Amino acid sequence: MFVMCKREFISLFKGIKSIIMIAILFAVSYYAAKFSSVLSSGVELTAGEAEDIHTIGLLSVILLLGQLFVFGLSHDTINREIHERTMRFLVTRASRSTILFGKFLGIWFFWLFCIVVSFLLISIFSKKFDLFIFSQTMSLVTYQAALAVLLSVLIPRPGYTMFLGNILGLMLPAFGFWAAFSPNGWVNWMKYFIPFYYLERDDFTFLVILGLAGMMLLAAYAVFRRREC
Amino acid sequence: MNAIEAKQLSKAYGAHQVVMGMDLAVRKGEIFGFLGRNGAGKSTFINMLTGIVSSSSGTYSLLGVEGPDSKVLKRVGVMPDYSSLYGSWTALDHLRFFSELSGARASKEKCLEVLRSVDLLSHANKKAGKFSFGMKKKLGIAQAIIHDPELIFLDEPTSGMDAESVILIHRLIKEFQKQGKTVFMTSHNLDEVEKICSRIAIMRDGIIDKIGTMEELRAFYRSTITVKIKHSTVPKQEQAKLEQWLESAGSLLEHGDTYTVITISDENKIAEMIRAFTQCKTDVLRVEVEEPSLEEIFLNE
Repeated sequence: MFVMCKREFISLFKGIKSIIMIAILFAVSYYAAKFSSVLSSGVELTAGEAEDIHTIGLLSVILLLGQLFVFGLSHDTINREIHERTMRFLVTRASRSTILFGKFLGIWFFWLFCIVVSFLLISIFSKKFDLFIFSQTMSLVTYQAALAVLLSVLIPRPGYTMFLGNILGLMLPAFGFWAAFSPNGWVNWMKYFIPFYYLERDDFTFLVILGLAGMMLLAAYAVFRRREC
Repeated sequence: MNAIEAKQLSKAYGAHQVVMGMDLAVRKGEIFGFLGRNGAGKSTFINMLTGIVSSSSGTYSLLGVEGPDSKVLKRVGVMPDYSSLYGSWTALDHLRFFSELSGARASKEKCLEVLRSVDLLSHANKKAGKFSFGMKKKLGIAQAIIHDPELIFLDEPTSGMDAESVILIHRLIKEFQKQGKTVFMTSHNLDEVEKICSRIAIMRDGIIDKIGTMEELRAFYRSTITVKIKHSTVPKQEQAKLEQWLESAGSLLEHGDTYTVITISDENKIAEMIRAFTQCKTDVLRVEVEEPSLEEIFLNE
């Protein structure tokens, strides 16, 4: 699993897309933290919100564009290998669980690296490393990575996942917030399957997001273990 | 112990049965040739054994371990058909990664040695995307053997290769056998299979139609042994007698003054035939025996 994880982790740093995304993430984190006093002066904030104001830039990017970023880089993590038949070399050497979970961990560590660096940049101005917000952010990224892996297993053609990934990446945050705050019973129940409901609380319910990610990964594995390569 | 053992192994796609309850045992150290027309089910059979597709029913074991088992895959090398390499990786990158994935990262020296064995040493640092079809095939073989496996599956290993490379790969396969490895290969080149395989199976419509050594397969077709005899002129008074004898021995295809072609069912009749010529005061100058080729056996329905 370590070999697959390492390969996926390193491959995510290659390519112009990832460089642009990392640049956006770091730039937004740094400048939003740097000018957080300007942001806080314009709006009335509670003491807790004022304390976390340095992370607002990073959280906004992750909440609104995170899914798009993760899909952008990893929508084809499994299906491209099946489509191009390089997967044949992998499944004849390693178990399918090793391949799937190894790839997921590679994606997860890539985002862990990016988020840690972003938080370190923020800490230059906030003078602290907020572990709670960091954990919440990582739980959201875990969910997003698991969804990308699931999509890549369910849809065999990389072209389709790219298209669907872009649509979902843009729609999911909007839909998530709508489901979380809408009184409409037809939509409201869906909030339990989307991370935003768990993130708006200041307690450890965000851990449920990890459970959702785990379920998506198990579903992806159930499909992948029967998939012809 | 058998290197490969399949019992009632089947694969169906909906109502379409591709492999139908196949039983097969491949002994350790064999070079086993697997033949069949396109769509006969041979690639599906290999793909089931190597974990590329799952079987619908039946069991199999590789190197004594019941499959599918990911641990045994580390002792198995596979060159799958219809596979492609990573275009942006060099040949060395491929071998390093695949050896690592098999449990032991090969040293640079080991990678170069394997590349040398498939005549790709001078292309070690070239990207696979720039390789010709034949070179990709060679790299496919190299990645299959980089971790020194005990059992090697080669699906059409020499298709698309130039003659010189084909000879090189044949030598390499024979070398594997000397090292005690088992090779299971498919090929459309019947001549190749006939030359290098210890046993052969012919698959037809999802089942094994014939299996055995070349000798055993030929035994099914002894009726088609063709004997060409070059002889001295048969004396006129002996001609009718000899002709009568030949007609009783087999199917006379050609009978001239100095040349006779006959098909017989039993090779023991060759000696009797020579005696018959001698008794008819005719010298036998040359005898050519044509046994059925694998091509004839393969094409025989």
